[in-house]
Amino acid sequence: MLVDSSRLQLGEHGAGPAQPARAPDAACLEARGLTVRFAARTVLDAIDFSVRAGEIAVIEGPSGGGKSTFLRALATLQEATQGGVLLDGVAATEMPSSAYRRRVAYVPQLPVMFAGMVSDNVRAGPRLGGRELADDQVAGLLARVVLAPAMATRRAHDLSGGEKQRVAIARALANQPEVILFDEPTSALDPSAADSILALVRRCAQDGCAVVIVTHVREQATTLAGTRYTCEAGHLHRRGAA
Amino acid sequence: MSYVDIAPWRLLFVFVLLLLASLLVSWRANLGLGRQLVVGALRGAVQLLGVGYLLVVLFRDQRPEWVLLVLLVMLGTAAWTSARRIESGPGRRILVPRTLLAVGGGSALALIPVFALVVAPRPWFAARYVVPISGMIVANAMNVVAQVNERIFASARNDRAEIEQWLALGATPKQALARQTREALRASLIPTINGLLTVGLVSLPGMMSGQIVSGTPPESAIRYQIVILYQLVIVAAVSGGIAAYLARRMLFTARDQLRNL
Repeated sequence: MLVDSSRLQLGEHGAGPAQPARAPDAACLEARGLTVRFAARTVLDAIDFSVRAGEIAVIEGPSGGGKSTFLRALATLQEATQGGVLLDGVAATEMPSSAYRRRVAYVPQLPVMFAGMVSDNVRAGPRLGGRELADDQVAGLLARVVLAPAMATRRAHDLSGGEKQRVAIARALANQPEVILFDEPTSALDPSAADSILALVRRCAQDGCAVVIVTHVREQATTLAGTRYTCEAGHLHRRGAA
Repeated sequence: MSYVDIAPWRLLFVFVLLLLASLLVSWRANLGLGRQLVVGALRGAVQLLGVGYLLVVLFRDQRPEWVLLVLLVMLGTAAWTSARRIESGPGRRILVPRTLLAVGGGSALALIPVFALVVAPRPWFAARYVVPISGMIVANAMNVVAQVNERIFASARNDRAEIEQWLALGATPKQALARQTREALRASLIPTINGLLTVGLVSLPGMMSGQIVSGTPPESAIRYQIVILYQLVIVAAVSGGIAAYLARRMLFTARDQLRNL
């Protein structure tokens, strides 16, 4: 039901048609034997992983353990040396990269705002596919990330760190992704802004998205109440639900 | 028409004047360019004198294979120089064939139609037309290609986060690199366009001045110069465009991932 209600909401405020339904327990995004090597150094070592729609997978671990590389590899921004990722059982390499990335959104640690207004940023993804979001769709997406409609006309570069992070999430949601990957989205924010971003992350999962979030803050992993993993020395270990 | 010849001792006089004036400026402004100025002035003179003697031979024994060889050397040198100016980016083994393609492609498009239909030298390989006009065009292509590559590779490094953010939203490499490509092409075309706008008002172009000094009627020299100016614009646009396209191909993997270059 959550998936259906989310699609209804995206139909009203989002950018395009609803995605096809899948079996409730089916893995949405999978990594199979995902290996990334930089020269002689193995950064990710044959990682198997899966996340379902509506699930939050929290990746913890020390700096340099491979968390961000894992997320970038899931987003296909990082080339896999061996293995790969599958979306709804289809290998990412079997579909155009742009089509895959519209379905698997990636929000980096420090989002870059594109030139122009907030509305230009929110419209950026659909525009790439030749679709223009109406003003009320932009307002709807801003509302999902708890930003007032008036924000649409603000210059994106003038926003605070927390506002930029919200706009980046709205920008990612505009493509109606089935999976959202967050790379330490609260690392540059004060505690109150961080809490509101975590609430947004939970909301994305409640709306039916599969969510993978990287964090090095243990309390956040508890707050998110998702399936916890530790990424260390290129290996991913499941720790169980919080 | 006759012209005033420059005797060797007068040339030497200008050389000494250049060195004294520039060394004085370098010394007073503490630029530390003295050695480079001396080497540059000497090397420029030696290269031009060498080319002068080569042209004498080329004009005297006009043979198509010699003219083509000179053109190939020009293209090769331009491609190598263009690739060498890139501070960051792929290695020269990858870059040089692509700068050759960009310099050669643009130059061919700017030169062949003009030699076939506009200037139409007889024979077609007449060195006194083909070599100097080709030299000007190839030199412009070299500068434009170097500038486009330098800017695009530098932007890809500095704007990596932005480019990857576009990719993450589903952009193709062409879309993700659109701003950087546009800025690089604009920057490389602006000097040529400025040349079009200010020619005759600020400066008289070298080729036209040279023709007039050597006795060519101004109206004829001007027509040549107009053709050259248009060729310079064509070569800048085409070579720049090819260089930008090839730079993009080098920057992204087959799966549209931004490489670390």
